[in-house]
Order: sequence, then C-alpha cells, then structure tokens
Amino acid sequence: MRLPRRTMRPFAATGSRNGPIIAIFLTFALVSAASIVLSVKVTGGSQHRATAIEVASRQRTLAERYVKEVLLAREGRRADPATIGSVMAASSTALLEGGVAPAVNGDDDQTKLQGAEGAALRGEFAQEQRLVSDLTETGEAVLAGHSVAGLPQTAHEQISTTDPIERLRVLAALTSNVSLVAARSMTRADEANISNLVSTQVLLGVGGLLITVFLASVLLATTRRQSAHFRSLALSSSDLVVVLGEEGCRYVSRSVAAMVGKAESDLYGTRLGDYVHDEDRPLLQSVATTGSPSEFSFRMRNGAGEWRHLEAHTTDLRSDRNLRGVVLNARDTTDRVQLEGELTAQLDRDGFASHLSEALEMADEEREVFDVVERATVEISERTPMELLLSDSSRANLSRAAQNPSADAPGCPVRSPFSCVAVRRGTAVVFDSSESLNACPQLRGRDSGPCSAVCVPVSFMGRALGVLHTTGPDGRPLTGEAVTQLTVLAGQAGARIGTVRAFEKTQLQASTDGLTGLVNRRTGEKELRELIKARHLFSLVIADLDKFKSLNDTHGHEAGDRALRLFAQTTKQTLRDNDLVARWGGEEFVIVLPELDRFQAIKVLDRVRHDLAVAHPGETARFTASFGVTDSGQADTLEELLSIADAGLYAAKQAGRDRAVVGDASAAEPAAERATAPEEPTHGPIVAARGGRPPIHEAADEEEPRPSGVQIR
Amino acid sequence: MRLSVANGLRLLICGWTAGLLAFVVLGCGGSGGSRVAGRVVPVSEGDFHISAPNRLTAGEYTLRVHNEGPTQHELIVVPYPSWHLPIRADGLTVSEETIQTREVGALEPGGAGAVRDLQLHLTPGRYIMFCNMEGHYMAGMHHELVVTS
Repeated sequence: MRLPRRTMRPFAATGSRNGPIIAIFLTFALVSAASIVLSVKVTGGSQHRATAIEVASRQRTLAERYVKEVLLAREGRRADPATIGSVMAASSTALLEGGVAPAVNGDDDQTKLQGAEGAALRGEFAQEQRLVSDLTETGEAVLAGHSVAGLPQTAHEQISTTDPIERLRVLAALTSNVSLVAARSMTRADEANISNLVSTQVLLGVGGLLITVFLASVLLATTRRQSAHFRSLALSSSDLVVVLGEEGCRYVSRSVAAMVGKAESDLYGTRLGDYVHDEDRPLLQSVATTGSPSEFSFRMRNGAGEWRHLEAHTTDLRSDRNLRGVVLNARDTTDRVQLEGELTAQLDRDGFASHLSEALEMADEEREVFDVVERATVEISERTPMELLLSDSSRANLSRAAQNPSADAPGCPVRSPFSCVAVRRGTAVVFDSSESLNACPQLRGRDSGPCSAVCVPVSFMGRALGVLHTTGPDGRPLTGEAVTQLTVLAGQAGARIGTVRAFEKTQLQASTDGLTGLVNRRTGEKELRELIKARHLFSLVIADLDKFKSLNDTHGHEAGDRALRLFAQTTKQTLRDNDLVARWGGEEFVIVLPELDRFQAIKVLDRVRHDLAVAHPGETARFTASFGVTDSGQADTLEELLSIADAGLYAAKQAGRDRAVVGDASAAEPAAERATAPEEPTHGPIVAARGGRPPIHEAADEEEPRPSGVQIR
Repeated sequence: MRLSVANGLRLLICGWTAGLLAFVVLGCGGSGGSRVAGRVVPVSEGDFHISAPNRLTAGEYTLRVHNEGPTQHELIVVPYPSWHLPIRADGLTVSEETIQTREVGALEPGGAGAVRDLQLHLTPGRYIMFCNMEGHYMAGMHHELVVTS
C-alpha cells in the first residue's frame, strides 16, 4: 500500500510553519500559567502561615505572662491572669482547628486562622492545647490556694515537683517550648514550600525552554525546508527575475545570468544596464524608481550578442521591508516577436501577391502585363534597377520587355535564356558581389562598377520565358523579403505572359487562314461590316488568281498552294499595314484598302500586279491575278459591294485577265446572270457561301494556254 | 553556514538534556550514606518520656532514636554518678555548660516521627540520657543507663 505523500504547499499563507509557532506560544502560556498558579497558591498559604506563626509565637509570651500575672495576683496586686489564660486557650484552639485568635489588649487585633494542616503540626498544636489547659488549671489552683498535686497532667507530662509555682513555671516552659517548636515547624514547612516552589519554577522554566527549543528547531527545519523548496523553484524556473533597487540591480535569477552569459554578481548595481538596449535603458530606470508600468517589453543582449526581446511583469515591492525594490518577472519572447514579424511580412507579401494577381488578371496583352510588371518593380523597391528580359518566339534571344521606371535598367548583357544561370537553375539566384569568385560572369565589367544582383527566372509551365534581373550596391543585395516578392512577381508574370501568349496564338489561329497566314473570310467579313458601319471610305477588291485550275492540274496542288502563299506574301508586302488582305476561299481573295476610293485602289493594285510579276517564287510557276474593284461610295451593304466588285472581276477576266477593273454598280446583277456562262465553271462552295448571289467565276480558259509570266496591262 | 544555527540548537538541546539528567542523578545520590557501627539499641522518645534499656555491656553502640512525638525532642547522653543533674538558674533546664566536656553523645532536636542514629562508645559506668528542651527534663524526660564491663 502506498502512503499518501504530504503535499508541499509553499505558497499557502498558513501551513506547516504555524504548528510549531502555536505550540511555542502554548508552551509559554501553560508554563506561565502553572508558574503563576503555584506562586499564588504558595504565597497565599505563606500569608496564612505567617499569621499562625505570629499567634503561635505569641502563645510563648502569653504563657510566661500568665505565670507573672498569677504570681502578681497571688500577692494581691492588680493582675488579670484569667483573661490571659482565656486568650491562650482560644488561641490554641484557633491554631489547631481554625477560628479567631482574640486580640491581646493593647497589643494587636484579633486574628483569623485557618487551622493546622498536617499530622505533625496538628499533633504539636494539640499538645500545646493540652499544656495550655494544664497550665491554666494549675494557675487557677494556685490562685484558689488549692493543692496542685491531684491536678491531671493531660499532656503526659510527669512533673515530679509539688511546688505549685515551680509546676506552673514548668508547664509554662513546656507550653512556651511547644509553641515555639510549632512555630518553627510552620516556618520550616513554609521554607520547604518556597523551596519546592523555586524548584518547580526552575523545572517549569527548564521544561518550557526545552520544549521551546525543540519546537523552534522544528520551526527552523520547516522554514529551511520551505526556503529550500522556494530556492529550488526559483532556481529551476525559466522565468527571468530581476530585482531593481534605487542603486540599480539588486538581484538577478540564475536564468538571467545564464542568458547574459555572466556571473550573477557581474550584473548587480548599474552593470545590468550594460546588457540592456540603449533605447530601453531609460524605461528600465523609470520602472526602478516608479514601479510602473506593470507590463512592458525591453531588450537584453545575450551571451551570443543577440538582442533578446523580454516581456516583463512589474511587482512594486518598494514598501516591502524584506525587498525594498521592484521585482521584474520577465520572459524571453524573441521567438514570438520574430514569428509576428514573419507573419506581418507574410501578410504584406500576400497583399502584394494578391494585388499583383488582380492587376495581371486585367492585363489582356503582353504590353499590359509588362506595364504591371513595371509598376510592381517600383512597389518592391523603388530605386533598385530592375528589368524583365524575355525571349522571343524562337526562344533564342533575350530582350528587355520592362524595367523599373524609377531607376536605370540594370542592362544585363545576357543574350539567350540558357546563358542565364538563374534560368538554368530554375530558381532565384542572389549574388552578393559581382567581384566574388562565384558571381555570374554577366555581372562583371559593367559600366556602373561592381554590384550585387538578384536574378529570378520567369517561366510558364516549365518553359523558360526569361529572367527578372535586379542589381544593387556591391555587397548589399536586396533583402530576403524583396527577393520573395520578386519571386512572386516572376511567377505570376510568367504565368500571365504565358497565358496571354497562348491566348493570342489561339485567337490568331481562329482568325487566320492556315495556308497563307492571311485573315480568313469570317474575320474579313467582320472587319468589313465594321468599316461599313463606321461609314469610312474604303475600297473593296476581289482578287482571283488567273488560270489557277490549270496551274493545279499542271504542276500539282503543292504548286497551287505555293502560288497562293506567294500571292498572299506579295500582297501584304506591297500594301500598307492597315490594309486588309483576306483569303475568301480557294484562289479568291478580298482586299480592303481604307481611305482609298476605287480609282486610287486601281493604282495600288497595279503596283501589286507589278510586284507579283517581278516576284520570283522559286519552284512555283508564274501566275497572274485579276481584280474587281469597288468602294464604299458605290453601295451601302457588304453584299452589294461584293456584288459590284465581283462584276469588276468578271469584267477583268473578260477583258483578258491580269488586270483590275472597277465594277459597274448597274452591271452587278447582269454580271451575276452571266455567272452561268459556260466558259466560267461554277465554284459550288462559293455560290453556297454567297447565299445565291453570283459566284466568282474562274475566268481562266484552261483550253487556251497562255504565255507564262505576269502580264501587265 | 546555514546549517550552523540548527546545529547549535541541537547541541543546546543535548546539553540541556545531559545537564538535567546529571542534576537529577546527583540530587538523588546525595541522600544516601549513613553508617552503622556496633550494636543497635532502640530508644524511643515522646512527650514526655524516654524508653531505653536500663543496662548494657560496655562497647560500641548505635542508639536508634525514634521520636514518637508529638513535639520535638533531643537526646543527650552523659555519664553521671548522681540522679540529679546541675540545673540552670532558671530552674527549668540542665546546665549543659557544666556537663559539656563529659558528654558521650548528643542529638539535636528532631521532629515527631524522626528516627536518628547516635554512635556511642560506652565504657562501664552510670549514664543518664535526657532531653534538655525547655521544661522537658523537669517534665520527666530522663532515663538512667548502667553499663557494665
């Protein structure tokens, strides 16, 4: 069975220490009470005995006086032996049994007695009483003149003399003697009592002292145990305890000394201040003198020279006589403070990332993305040179797409993505100094001199797009926080650029003709309708390769495709950037020339025909094209315009091909009717696409070979 | 050094205990040690008589004197050829000054119930033993002893 252990409660206000204290007080109280009671009792008895002794001593005098009185009376002189005898008799009775001892005339007052205690004393007083009786009877016999021979001797005296006076004197002597002896006995008893009292008092004193000493040792042991317990608690506590007095530090716990890496005695007085942060020292001094604030933070340098953040709780014990100081209970909160800092930075980073993400989401084109990147670089570090180098579609060359507008461009001379170490590694690289051995070679020898640099690769779905490059003062690269933001920027910008590029490519594929790279018919129609709607002046041209069927048949479809591509290429090169060339279907194209009327268009088309004629398409056979021309002034709808232009084309074919002819608005319909002419085979898909309107006919007469080369009208 | 106070107290306790024990032992030891030599002769005293053998042979004696009370009595032994001892001028007590040089032995007054021994070397002759407290001799407290060879 396990015995329950006594619980140690060092913080209890009352406890095991009170037991001994109470016991000590009880011991004192009991010993003192016993001492007082004994003293009172003994001294009270002594008073009574003193009275009795006085009366007993008086008996001796009275006995002698009685004899004298008897003798005087016998001689006829004036005397009163009877009164003396009665006083003696009453006194002896009072001495033995208690009562009132009468007063002797002129001598004293009557005295109240308690009676004799103890067999020996009582025996003595009884004998005295008997002797007094014998004495007074003898005295009376002497006065009466009677013989004393027959008188009884009640006290067993054996007085042989017959002389009455001598007998009277012997009896008086015996009475006197026994009274004296009794008085002495009482005195001795009193002395014995007092001696006993002294012994008892000494014993009580010694006993009380021994008990007190024992209890004090118990108290001391208890106190020591508690002190030891407290000391253990204080020493093992990780809390940092400092007591500040007026003269400076008065106490530091072992944990403080361990943190600072000094002996406790090295921190007393003003020396503690050497380890407190300069900014916090006045606060600590204020706490020492005022005892407030109740909670505050300060910094102390530890043994490794790091600043530790301490959170302190103040207890003002300046009025406590045991301490006379301000107690600081501090705790090292450095880790928490750092974590808070990191969380704040994380929040900032998250805020930056979130804002960046929103901004990039709104950027639909690369240029807009670059703009966001530029603004983001300002936000990361306004004065730091930063640039975004992006590769072109070939992914072979790097060129600057954006730079921090508030600073110079870092001007990294790297030419291709894979010459960049950050791109190769796929992770951010920080170079402290361009002069160090392991610095990127691209950093060396720059006009601006030695520098630090941070390079973050920009990629999309694992494909390197470029690099975000920053430079800074030599030896002082961007902080970790800025590098993290750069990484965020690189990641998000890469993702957006990749997305925008993919989107543009998809859009391009949807709006262009795969073979020629020209705008397809749907896009062309859309743009034409917008032009018509905007009521801008433009010319509309329908172009058709001459004798294309024959080309196909003679040289194969490859040659036909090449001819189509050559036509598209030549036309685009010849025309202005804002002119539109769309492949309408087969070998038929629509050209839109904004701001030109149909006559100006004819001139442009002449140039196109010329360029086509001088173009040397390599393996492609030479070919010509015919153009039907109209402008927005001739009709209001796309269908009408197309119809007029188609009429022009028909006219051009009819007139011998390789020419541009302005369509006749009034001839548009007849032209459509002529569509069924046997020499121009109908192109089914085109007819269908035009919704029943006259198709564009192949004007080439295949049975009628023409000289190769481009004919110029 | 912290322990020295407690150790001091412990030593104090030990010292006190030892001292107390020594006091008790020595105090008890003081009451012993009466010697007895020769023959023991019982003698009783009382108010107012002495009872003792009338005759003894010469030699060493211890008179074991018992005071039967009720009052105090002493005992003086003197050789004396006569029944009558010299009485002081007061007519009440024997003149001890006269007989002092011839005293064989004496016991000071003892209370009722006391038993005391008196060593005597008795040579042949007549002796008288008496109590010389005030009036006691006159009240009959004397006894004659004859020591034979």
